[in-house]
Amino acid sequence: MIPTQWFLILGAVLFCIGVCGVLTRRNGITIFMSIELMVNAVNLTFLAYARQFHQLHGVIFVFFIMAIAAAEAAVGLAIFISLFHHRETIDVDEANLMRW
Amino acid sequence: MINFVIFFFFAALAVIFALMVILHRNPVVSALSLVVSLFSLAVMYILLEVPFLAALQVIIYAGAIMVLFLFVIMLLNLQRRREETTRPVQQFLGFTASAAFAVALIYYLAKYAVMTLPNGPFLADARTIGIRLFETYFFPFEMVSILLLAAIVGALLLSARGLPSPDPERSEGANAPEVPGR
Repeated sequence: MIPTQWFLILGAVLFCIGVCGVLTRRNGITIFMSIELMVNAVNLTFLAYARQFHQLHGVIFVFFIMAIAAAEAAVGLAIFISLFHHRETIDVDEANLMRW
Repeated sequence: MINFVIFFFFAALAVIFALMVILHRNPVVSALSLVVSLFSLAVMYILLEVPFLAALQVIIYAGAIMVLFLFVIMLLNLQRRREETTRPVQQFLGFTASAAFAVALIYYLAKYAVMTLPNGPFLADARTIGIRLFETYFFPFEMVSILLLAAIVGALLLSARGLPSPDPERSEGANAPEVPGR
């Protein structure tokens, strides 16, 4: 069996890649994909701990996170479509109406 | 032994394609790389003895959510327009901050999260998960279904071209060509 901390380290690396994507990109959809990446890294961590402690709670939490990620993707992409219709861009730096 | 080979192969695949997601300029390539990355995470779930969630990962994430992403990218015709880079200071701060965060996390995980392997198999097949879901977690499960319904309504409302106007005649006139089935 593979040690738990290797999965944790993989999850940490993927999470940081997602953080980097959110911080350095402008394209709204790419930022959104980075967020999905972070969500998946957290899922991996949940499952690694679930196996480590033989608890089903982590597995069920991941199940709920997947449902919420689906809802989030639907609403978020709808927001981007709406933004594109109004502004002709999905550059998040352009959508600065509520910035200051 | 074969488990370790599979783990390292798919871990490398996941990390490489995750880097591709954030470094590539074309959103279509990013989305397809994310599919590969999520697929290798499904393999990780199988290695963690939760094959049910691995199937869900492939169906929901790699299937449904990423198809939605690709659909929106194609719909908005974003694959042709080049994204300009962010300011150099933002790039620098983003990369250094996330790299420092990664180094710190890995250091502390390698130092303090060293755990002995659990003994005995971890029973988490669809049957066990389903029983637990409908006994202990029944209320959250129902809440999630309501949340999904709200998400459907919200997505429909947000992505409609122009909100329906308060004037009934105008809104009917504007909406009529778009809803032929009514």
